[in-house]
Amino acid sequence: MDSQPSRLTAVALAFMAVIWVSPFSWLILNAFNPLSTGQLEIPRAFGFDNFGLAVSGNAGRQFLNSIIIAAGTATLSVLVGISAAYPLSRLRIPGRNALLWTLVLLRMLPSAGVLVPLYFAAQRSGLLNQLGVIVALTILNLPFTLLLLKNFFDTVPIELEEAAYVEGASLLQIVTKIVLPMSRAGIAVVWFFSFTGAWNEFLLPLIFARVQDAFPMSVGLYAAFGQQGAINYGFLTAFSILYAAPAVGVYFLLRRNMNTGFAGVGVKG
Amino acid sequence: MKNQANPWLTGNLFVLVLGMLPAIVLIGALLYFTAWAFAFSFTDLALVGRKSVEWSWVGLENFERLFTRRGFLESLWTTVIFVFFSAIVGQSVLGFLLAAVLRGTQSSIRSVVEVCIMLGWLLPDIVAAFLWSATTSQTGLINQLIVVPLGFRPINFINEYALPIVTIANIWKGTAWSYLLFSAALDSVSREVVEAAKVDGATPFQRIWLVQLPIIRPHIATNMLFITIWTFTYFPLIFAMTGGGPGRQTETLAVFLYNQSFARGNLGFGSAISVAMLAIVGVLSLFYLRLLREPK
Repeated sequence: MDSQPSRLTAVALAFMAVIWVSPFSWLILNAFNPLSTGQLEIPRAFGFDNFGLAVSGNAGRQFLNSIIIAAGTATLSVLVGISAAYPLSRLRIPGRNALLWTLVLLRMLPSAGVLVPLYFAAQRSGLLNQLGVIVALTILNLPFTLLLLKNFFDTVPIELEEAAYVEGASLLQIVTKIVLPMSRAGIAVVWFFSFTGAWNEFLLPLIFARVQDAFPMSVGLYAAFGQQGAINYGFLTAFSILYAAPAVGVYFLLRRNMNTGFAGVGVKG
Repeated sequence: MKNQANPWLTGNLFVLVLGMLPAIVLIGALLYFTAWAFAFSFTDLALVGRKSVEWSWVGLENFERLFTRRGFLESLWTTVIFVFFSAIVGQSVLGFLLAAVLRGTQSSIRSVVEVCIMLGWLLPDIVAAFLWSATTSQTGLINQLIVVPLGFRPINFINEYALPIVTIANIWKGTAWSYLLFSAALDSVSREVVEAAKVDGATPFQRIWLVQLPIIRPHIATNMLFITIWTFTYFPLIFAMTGGGPGRQTETLAVFLYNQSFARGNLGFGSAISVAMLAIVGVLSLFYLRLLREPK
């Protein structure tokens, strides 16, 4: 391929990278400045006081809430998704393709549209809490999860399963020893998508969480951010960094799997 | 019927169907809620007050209001501008250019740029909104670094150029997705084809425009489909940055829907908005699916 990337390209790329990360300067400068005033300035002091504030009391509680919601949604979506996607991929169910296209269309629903009925249903069944948020997010995620997992299972060659069956493996063994390990990358991608999706989710908890104790970080940050009067910018920026960290961290942990997984999204969509 | 001959599947049909059951229930719930939203759009149901209990059917009144009252059509136009410039022009074109350019560069440069772009994508919506509000504020980065040194008075961007600012923020946030998808797509173009074009004397521009682009056309359509719909229904970033204001300058359909349903409490009218959005999304996806299916 082109082995001589021109100097101009390199400069342009560097320039772009700098522009891309420049908004973070304000976040970092304020978070590590205990005397922060929310201005963009070189801090005269340096310390972790803000982070201390951001993990204690209400803020710490919100962090926990977010973890519960995100991990719960991701795990539930993947479990439900796997147990349905494997049969969907292997059995010749009549109208399977029509079903999948319906799922794609469902995935395109503006989630705000089904929010009203979801809210009423949760209210009636007493699920206006974290469990309710988890179930609701799983419902909204499921079409996408199913579609992706089915595509990944489709790529596992059926000959391997035949061979295992001939050797005397049971269905459970075939699934857990062959199919799941071979689509590990795909499962990781799906789990990651559901996790970050639920971690970032704002609208649903905003409507579901009625008391401050139940706020996840997204709603907590929005509430603090919108407050009039004295805003503690140091606390808010530190809180933002803590809030952003897990999604970024999980991505870099799963990065290698990610790139393989992405090919799957594009090819069959 | 090749698959039906697989004994480990046919022998365990019951288990397999049992496995599908939770998903069927949840998908059923989704369908049920959707049907409910449709039904609501023909009522005058409200979030609070008398009409939250004693609602009545009002026929097509909500849908008439979409076109006769101010609000919906303006929001639709705002949304079209927002989607066109941030998703189609911004994210797709920039993502493709980056994917094409970075393929030719060293892996170290590639990783650095990739990580920078990914940071925006991975950042939670609310944090991104917070960040961009601060960056474009009167004492923010853009004013301190560019506007003031050039001798101008500081500009309150979010008040004066609200729609362009949220558009830029969304490009910043979403380009990574298009980049990753196009990157994976370009990887699937076989090297021989590109080499052959090179031997035949095609310029780098021609290699991209005439060889690679047509091959990855399905990927482009898929990507367009995803990001158009996501951007069309995208809510948190704009809501947290401007709440739809100033005035109604940035009130996209998703924000309009929220404001009508939950701030004003008109659940019936809100449902009519979401039904209209669903119809628009449906038409858009049919258009893209045609692109995807006709290989010419």
